[in-house]
Amino acid sequence: MRLMGDTHSPAVSPRLDIAAERIAALEAQLADSQRLIMDLEERDALKTQFLSNISHDLRTPLTAIITHAEILRDGILGEVTSKQRESISTIIAGGRQLLDMIAEILMHARDSSEQLTLVESEFSIHEVVEQVTALNESLVAKKGLSLERYLSPSLPPVRGDRDKIIHVLTNLLGNAFEFTPSGGRVWVDAGMAPEDPHNVVMIEVGDTGRGIAPDHHELIFREFAQVDSSASRAHHGTGLGLTIARRFVELHGGRIWVESELGQGSRFFFTLPVKHGAE
Amino acid sequence: MSARVLLVEDSPLVSSALKILLESAGFIVAVASTAREARELGIEHRPDVMLLDITLPDDDGLSVLRSLEAEGFKPQATFAMTGHTDAETRARCLEAGCDDVLVKPVPVKQLLRIVSEAVA
Repeated sequence: MRLMGDTHSPAVSPRLDIAAERIAALEAQLADSQRLIMDLEERDALKTQFLSNISHDLRTPLTAIITHAEILRDGILGEVTSKQRESISTIIAGGRQLLDMIAEILMHARDSSEQLTLVESEFSIHEVVEQVTALNESLVAKKGLSLERYLSPSLPPVRGDRDKIIHVLTNLLGNAFEFTPSGGRVWVDAGMAPEDPHNVVMIEVGDTGRGIAPDHHELIFREFAQVDSSASRAHHGTGLGLTIARRFVELHGGRIWVESELGQGSRFFFTLPVKHGAE
Repeated sequence: MSARVLLVEDSPLVSSALKILLESAGFIVAVASTAREARELGIEHRPDVMLLDITLPDDDGLSVLRSLEAEGFKPQATFAMTGHTDAETRARCLEAGCDDVLVKPVPVKQLLRIVSEAVA
């Protein structure tokens, strides 16, 4: 006679055993994965710490180089000829460029290791665009570019971290200037986003430069990514500018993307939600 | 009489440049490379202006200002020098009693102007 509750029935027990085995195997796998994640997180933190330390240590000798060069340039140690002054000024410009790159690495390292917070205030996009473009006027003139502004007069004030938005705009414009050959156009266009014209501001930075292949549209926002990673690449940079820009925009609840084809120029866009009224 | 400047900076590469710069403008310059040295030189020299690197090997640079004040001395003007541009560092320096916060490398013309104005 067969008992209903007989768990030792040969028809059932192998299945249960198999299931138990599988669960045990999966649990072991899960534990392995968790260990791996912890290990990777630890390594990532070490990398961040290393970047932070090295960036900091690079600044000191660079500070000395720039300061000594400025002393020479200003004739404090004796008159210099105009040719000498030109050469010294190049040392200073090169040093300052390096310093900017180090600052970018340091910012990235710090942002990866700490919870980023926004220092919010209400500000006008017009004012921010004016400020950033004014700072770049001499560069624009030197490269023979034209810089156009199309700012919607009815743009409401935005609430956000002004310094971080300035950083994003400076970065996008810096790229546009760098990758647009002499005689080209760069523009900034700010208005309400077509998809949500009451709540979202959209800012475009466009150029008639060499453009970016669609394959690379995501890549360029990734950490340390540069489209041309060959040793002979003509453009310097840390490969962090757009990564930082994306983080800053997303922190505001906005979005950043690029529309471009090789040889057709680039149009970078980012959106910022308008926060109605004070917090 | 020439004004006295105490330059607190741990890197000799940087302090040598700033010393040349300040001396060229007629200031009498003492250099300290640690917080301890800065406390000693601060009491001994009673500088009119202190240029204070806030990251020193033995202590937080701002502690120098506090120690000197505890000894009953405060320079006419103290300028913090730092590589950090963040608002938090700035606020911390001002709160500790610095008159301004200068981001390194401070352009030499700007530095001379600031120090000269402080003792004018």
